[in-house]
Amino acid sequence: MQKLFSLPSLIVIALLIVGLPFVQRPVVAAEVLTLGIAAVATNLLLGYTGMLSFGQALFFGVGAYCAGVLATKYGISAFLAIPVAMLFSAVIAFLIGLVCVRRSGLYFIMITFAFNQMVFFIAYSWTTMTGGEDGLPGVRRPPLIDDQWSFYIFTVLVFICALCVMKLFVNSPTGRILQAIRDNPGRAAATGHDVGRYKLIAFVMAGMFTGLAGAIFAFVFGIVPIDKVDWRFSGDIVFMTLLGGSGSFIGPVIGAAFYTWLQETVSHYWDRWPMILGIVFALVVLFFRTGVAGMAEVLTGKLTQKGAGAKPKEMEAGS
Amino acid sequence: MTTGLECISVSKHFGAVKAVNDVSFEVPPGALHTVIGPNGAGKTTLFNCITSELKPTSGEVRFEGHVISGRKTHELPVFGVARSFQRTSIFSNLTVAQNVWVSAFRAFAGTRVEVLRPADAHPEVTETIYQTLEEVGLDRYANSPATELAHGDQRLLDFAIALAPKPKLLLLDEPTAGLSRSDTQRVMHLIESLKGRYTIVLIEHKMDVVMRISDRITVMYFGEVLAEGTPQEIRANPKVREAYLGRRA
Repeated sequence: MQKLFSLPSLIVIALLIVGLPFVQRPVVAAEVLTLGIAAVATNLLLGYTGMLSFGQALFFGVGAYCAGVLATKYGISAFLAIPVAMLFSAVIAFLIGLVCVRRSGLYFIMITFAFNQMVFFIAYSWTTMTGGEDGLPGVRRPPLIDDQWSFYIFTVLVFICALCVMKLFVNSPTGRILQAIRDNPGRAAATGHDVGRYKLIAFVMAGMFTGLAGAIFAFVFGIVPIDKVDWRFSGDIVFMTLLGGSGSFIGPVIGAAFYTWLQETVSHYWDRWPMILGIVFALVVLFFRTGVAGMAEVLTGKLTQKGAGAKPKEMEAGS
Repeated sequence: MTTGLECISVSKHFGAVKAVNDVSFEVPPGALHTVIGPNGAGKTTLFNCITSELKPTSGEVRFEGHVISGRKTHELPVFGVARSFQRTSIFSNLTVAQNVWVSAFRAFAGTRVEVLRPADAHPEVTETIYQTLEEVGLDRYANSPATELAHGDQRLLDFAIALAPKPKLLLLDEPTAGLSRSDTQRVMHLIESLKGRYTIVLIEHKMDVVMRISDRITVMYFGEVLAEGTPQEIRANPKVREAYLGRRA
């Protein structure tokens, strides 16, 4: 089997995993990793297939509520609830994807947004199941991973597995066909690839892993807050992905870390912290279209004098 | 089955505009048939009917007896049909070899969705890719990003994507459009070298390039067939001279 991750990617992942719990509380570090999974999953659509989904909070929420309900109402252990929630998200993604992938561009964005709103209002109204506006509290971790360090280690393991599976997917024939569709859907179809079917596969993969992220999130703070299924959170996930760099595989993880850092740290000093988010986002879109990962690549390229001028999308293509 | 491509009374109307009207011709296997005509004659509309990009208003297109018109574009490669594009159509963020991989893998794996192995794990596919790149003369750029190729080389890559699945019928839409004189030469040499091994339908605007290599020529004018025949017959046809050549001769 070919080497899955490049050395710089491995270093970044290792630094994050080891460093995060010392910079933040371990639960917050676990939150970063779950958001990282969601952002990488979203990037399967955005960066690899060229589909901007504005409904990823839907799958994050479905995963979180599914795991949360199983744990609180039926007393099912996290070890079972999380995979069940992940599969459930995949099924939902398949059904919604059947409708969404028929459209592209702005219409795709709007239809994913519409489904997101639909699920939000189901969560909002179905108070007996979801707790409505108050969220779903009392999601207990199993004894084995109850204290925050063991829970963090559990999250790290899931994070690594999820990243490996998604990276294998991206490197597989299907992953490459998705990139071909991103670059030129007309030509991909003319070479015989059923574009709609491949888009659906990408949509289900992204939905499934975003659902996994949501399912773990339910156990991070022991509550499923309703704002995690709100459309604004869909925007946050897209923000993390773009900030980190949609042209690189692990870029979105960096975006998730930065986003959480802003939220956790700056919000203590300044209530208007989302303004900083807005400014950073504008700067990234205007000047660093490739995100943090793209910037890092350009810098290391300049230092080593070989990858200089490399375009971001090629970063993964060659590995 | 010995029939090649058959266009049977193909018409495509957009409202009152008869872009293509009752066009018929036959291309025996291994022949090179060219469709020429002035701008707006309906060549590209006809081409898009053959490639199922458009559904003909009436009539049909068959290849080896199978109806290939009015299908989904991604179904055509199954019948051994491949096309090139008038405006170079490649996968710009992939490498040259990966571009060819996209069509070569489709021919190798069919519609099977593969996620468990790396994309480059099939030596047969890799071999096809390098053979094809060698044929069009791009093998030394295999690992370069496709966007770094020169303009003419990108057109050759477009050809390579079409050739890799080893199609039986090649549909070429103005393959020399927008190319420099020397790049036009390279593309025409390539087409000449393919002649005989594939059934080829060529849509062209430039008269001079097609006279030498075509077996038969269909001249279109305002959506209809004005004349059909060998290059010599077409050159001698007074109607064609008036409609098309007259302005240049």
